[in-house]
Amino acid sequence: MMMDTVMQGLKAPPKVSGEKPQVGHMEEFGVNFARFLMRCNAECGELAEFNMGGQPTILMSGPEAQEAFFKTLDTRLSRAAAYQATVPVFGKGVIFDAPEDRMKTQLKIQVDALRYQNMKSYAAIIAKEVEDWIAEWGEEGELDFLDEFIQLTLHTACHCLLGPDFRYKMTDEFKSLYHDLEKGLQAIAFVDPYMQQPVFEARDKARVRLQELISAIIAERRANGERKYGDALETFMSGTYKDGSYLDDNEITGLVIATMFAGHHTSSGTATWTLIELARQKEYANEVLEELQALFSDGRELSLEALREIPRLERFIEEVLRIHPPLVLLMRRVLEDIDYKGSLLAKGKTVAVSTYGSHRNPAFFPDPERFDPHRQKPDTLWAFIPFGGGPHKCAGNAFALMQLKSIFAALLPRYEFELVDPPESYQDDLSAMVLKPGSPSRLRYKKR
Amino acid sequence: MKIQVDLELCQGHSVCLEECPEVFDVAETDEGYPKVLVLNENPAEDLREKVQKAAKFCPNHVITIIEDECL
Repeated sequence: MMMDTVMQGLKAPPKVSGEKPQVGHMEEFGVNFARFLMRCNAECGELAEFNMGGQPTILMSGPEAQEAFFKTLDTRLSRAAAYQATVPVFGKGVIFDAPEDRMKTQLKIQVDALRYQNMKSYAAIIAKEVEDWIAEWGEEGELDFLDEFIQLTLHTACHCLLGPDFRYKMTDEFKSLYHDLEKGLQAIAFVDPYMQQPVFEARDKARVRLQELISAIIAERRANGERKYGDALETFMSGTYKDGSYLDDNEITGLVIATMFAGHHTSSGTATWTLIELARQKEYANEVLEELQALFSDGRELSLEALREIPRLERFIEEVLRIHPPLVLLMRRVLEDIDYKGSLLAKGKTVAVSTYGSHRNPAFFPDPERFDPHRQKPDTLWAFIPFGGGPHKCAGNAFALMQLKSIFAALLPRYEFELVDPPESYQDDLSAMVLKPGSPSRLRYKKR
Repeated sequence: MKIQVDLELCQGHSVCLEECPEVFDVAETDEGYPKVLVLNENPAEDLREKVQKAAKFCPNHVITIIEDECL
C-alpha cells in the first residue's frame, strides 16, 4: 500500500475480535448491530476496527471522536461514498449520486421545503390526520400501534410532501411500490446494492413506476399554473440550480423518496416507542399529561405556534430518542488518509458512529438503561446525537419533533393507554436497519 | 447583549427571520444552504425577547446570546 510520508508512524486502530473468513463480523452484526457496536467500543475503546462483509469499518466512540466525525469536511469523510446503497432507491443523479454542487443544491431545496411557511401548513395537516385517525376509535379498544403509526406517518408524509389530492387517492399500488423500495435498502444493500437479487429487481421496477406516478402529478400541476399547494412538491418543483435550471422529474421523484425515507420509519418507530414508554413510565407520563392539560385545556388548535414549547413532553421524547435512537449507525467513507490523534483513518475505509452506544455512555448518562426524562443534559453537544450533528445534522429534526408533539398532545388528554403484553416484552427490533419496537406493539386505549 | 452565530451549523431554516427580522436575515449562498445574516450584532434591550425566541427555536441551535460584561 502506498503511504503518504506525512502519515507514516501513525497507529492502526485496534481490531475487534471474532472476525471470520470472508464474512468478517457480518453474522454478529446481523444479529443485533447496536449491541455489536457496543461490544466493539467496550473491547477497543475510542477507535475500533471491524469488518463489515469485506469493508474495513472503524467505529468512532465518545464525544471527541464523534465531533471529529461530524465536523470533518465531506471532501475527506464522504457521506455519498458511504451511502451508495441509496442510489438505486433515490435515483441516478440524485443526492448521493449527484456531483457535489448539484447534491448541495438538492439538499438546500429539501430544506426549503421545511421552512417556516411550509411548517405551518404541515402542522395543520398533521393535526387533521391525527383527528381523522382517532375519529374511528370509539370508547375503548386495542391496536397494534406500530402498524397504526406506520400508517399515520405514511399519510402525514404523503400529505405534506405531495398534497391532499395524492394523499386521499393513495392507492394500494403506491403502498406496494413504496414497500418494494424499502426492501431495497436492507443491510445487504450496503455491501453491494447491484447484486442479482429479486429484492433489488423489485426495487428497480418500483423506482421506475413511482416516477411515472409522480410525473403525472407534476404534469398536472404545471398545467394548472398559478395554483398554490403549500406542500414539499411545490417547493421541489420551483427550486433551481445555480444556472437557473429546474430539477427534472427524476430528481424531484428522488427528493420525494429521500424525504419519505428520512422521515417515515424514523417517526413511526419513535412514536410507537414514545407511546410504549408513556404506558410503562406512569409517573413521568402523568407529569406530561398535567402539562398538556394545562396548555391545551382551552381546546386551542395544535398549530406550529402552540406546539413549539411543551417542555415536559419534549424531555420525554428526548429520553425516548436517547434509549431508542431510530438511526443507530451513521457512516462516512474516508477519501484521504486522516491523522486522528496519532491513529490512521486510512483512505478507503469506512468510519462509523453509533448513536445507540453514545447514548449509553455512563460518563454522560449515568445508569444508562434507566428511563429518566429528568436526567441532566450532558455538557457536550456530541454525546446526545439522535439527529447526528454538525453541518449535516438531520434537517428534518424540527419537523419530526413537531409531528411527535402534535400526536401526543392530541392523544394523551383524551385517552389512557395500557400495555397489553408484559412490559419487558417490548424490545428494540433492528432487523430493518431503522430501530423500532418489535411487532406487534399492542396497547389498549380507553377514553378519559 | 451580543449575538453570535455558528454559520457551520446553519441550514437556513429561517425561524430566526420569522421571530426577529430586526436582527436576522437569511441569505442565499454560492453553494448549499442559505445562511443566517446578523443585521445587528448588538441589538437594543427591547428586542431581547424576540432574540431569545429566535435562539431558542432555531432547529440547529446556531444562535448564542452573549451578555455584556460591563457593570
